[in-house]
Amino acid sequence: MLDTLRQIETPEGVFLRLRAAGALPRAQAWTIDFVLRLVVFSAAMIPLSLFGSAGSGVGALLMFVLMWAYAVVCEVWFGGQTLGKRAMGLRVVSADGAPVTLVPSVLRNLLRVVDILPGVYAVGLASTLIDPYGRRLGDVIAGTLVIHGGELPVGSQVPKVAPMAPPPGLAPDEQAVIVEFAERCGQLTPQRQQELADLLQPLTGCSGEAGVQRLLGYANWLLGRT
Amino acid sequence: MKQERFVALHREAWSELQHWLDLVDSKPRQALRDARASGFPVEYRRLCHHLALARARGYSGEVTDRLQRMVQQGHRLLYRPPAPRWHRALSFLVAGFPRLVRSEWRCMAAAAVLFFAPALFCLVALQFHPQWAHSIFGSAQLAEFEKMYDPANHRIGRSSGTDLAMFGHYVMNNVSIAFRTFASGLALGVGAVYVLAANGVIIGGVAGHLTQMGYGGPFWRFVAAHAAFELTALVIAGGAGLKLGLTLLAPGRQRRGPAMVAAGWIGAQLALGAFAMLLIAAAIEAFWSSVAWFPDLLKFGSAALLWLLVLGWLWRGGAQAEGGDGA
Repeated sequence: MLDTLRQIETPEGVFLRLRAAGALPRAQAWTIDFVLRLVVFSAAMIPLSLFGSAGSGVGALLMFVLMWAYAVVCEVWFGGQTLGKRAMGLRVVSADGAPVTLVPSVLRNLLRVVDILPGVYAVGLASTLIDPYGRRLGDVIAGTLVIHGGELPVGSQVPKVAPMAPPPGLAPDEQAVIVEFAERCGQLTPQRQQELADLLQPLTGCSGEAGVQRLLGYANWLLGRT
Repeated sequence: MKQERFVALHREAWSELQHWLDLVDSKPRQALRDARASGFPVEYRRLCHHLALARARGYSGEVTDRLQRMVQQGHRLLYRPPAPRWHRALSFLVAGFPRLVRSEWRCMAAAAVLFFAPALFCLVALQFHPQWAHSIFGSAQLAEFEKMYDPANHRIGRSSGTDLAMFGHYVMNNVSIAFRTFASGLALGVGAVYVLAANGVIIGGVAGHLTQMGYGGPFWRFVAAHAAFELTALVIAGGAGLKLGLTLLAPGRQRRGPAMVAAGWIGAQLALGAFAMLLIAAAIEAFWSSVAWFPDLLKFGSAALLWLLVLGWLWRGGAQAEGGDGA
């Protein structure tokens, strides 16, 4: 298991598995956001500059919104993702895995002022390296967490072969290993499949392609196929 | 029950739910108006039950990963933050915020002293030692201040720019300063102390210098009204920063982590309130304070009224609800 995996028990009694994001993808997301905001601001300033000093006032308001409000609005009302985070597949959630609410989001974005010190996020970087879940100071105090929002690929189908009962006395985790092997077969080269199946020669009693087929048969039987 | 049979039993229900969850992600309005929406909590709990069963029975990743994924999606939907309500925002501003300020009165008092003591000191000292102004400001800055508050100007408090331009400028500057004051409090309060005291010296210095050289009229006419909101908001933001720093230093009878989270929660709310106050201050400063031809009575009368309003609001706002809660 990944050591950044955070398991959180929900009120329904099951576990959420949140994969905390490290400093690098977050820095990339921040860079994307930064460039986007720069582009929007520059693009808006071209027509605004025609209006003289009133335009510069609206420009200052726009800058304020981009600087302070952009991240909060995105996080609270657009699923915990600024555009940069969306591009990197990251998401801000509260420590209990629920979507982030207004006050924590405001807090984590205000405390960016401290994390960004001195200059290039040095405090934030140090904090993400020390914290087991890669949180910067703002996240620690706001009780939020940045996670990889994209879901893991779902395990693939076990190839269908004639089921065959495995020798008795297999422990549950041993059964699970056999099924898992069958699920991952599609992603492995035949040579690697055989190499892995050969490790179980004492169980299957045959080697090479025959061993692989036998393990697949066991897996089909364990899944309850007839 | 073997895995295949379990999947065969529930496949239909899962794929329907998955379909609806995907619809929520792409078209939330349409999906939430759908008849399925009201049945979602029940279906979600059933799904959680299935995941728990699948895990306990040691089913393979094909099933557990799929269910896990749906549960995460469903959890995000079920526990999403409530839609913003004007009523809540309003009741926070009218009652919740002043109550919060009063409950943190020690930090607020400390912040007020840190700000107003240097300000008053500079104001008074510059009446007797005008040359000290040159130790606080450079001569270019002093010239700029003198130009801004020259009694001959028909707009006071600025050398150029329209009302709207100045409004944007004030919002950007003042709110940024307040937010930075709050956040820099995290550095054991040092940042907040510095910003408060430095702003006290600067504001007191400008006031003292201009008063001493006879430009006091336009200056006080300009600042009196919006200062009610602006200076109070700065003190509140500074107080919230102090609270953050002091909690880090001395968390009291709590572990440092939870104490900081609690202080941060309060601090962020105070910062939000200060933000609202600064918006009002910027509007007054840009559209009211700068008008030079209003008679003194109107200027200072409105300023006194605003000060009474702000202090009264912070002193009594939400007091009835407080009593009602028995708090």
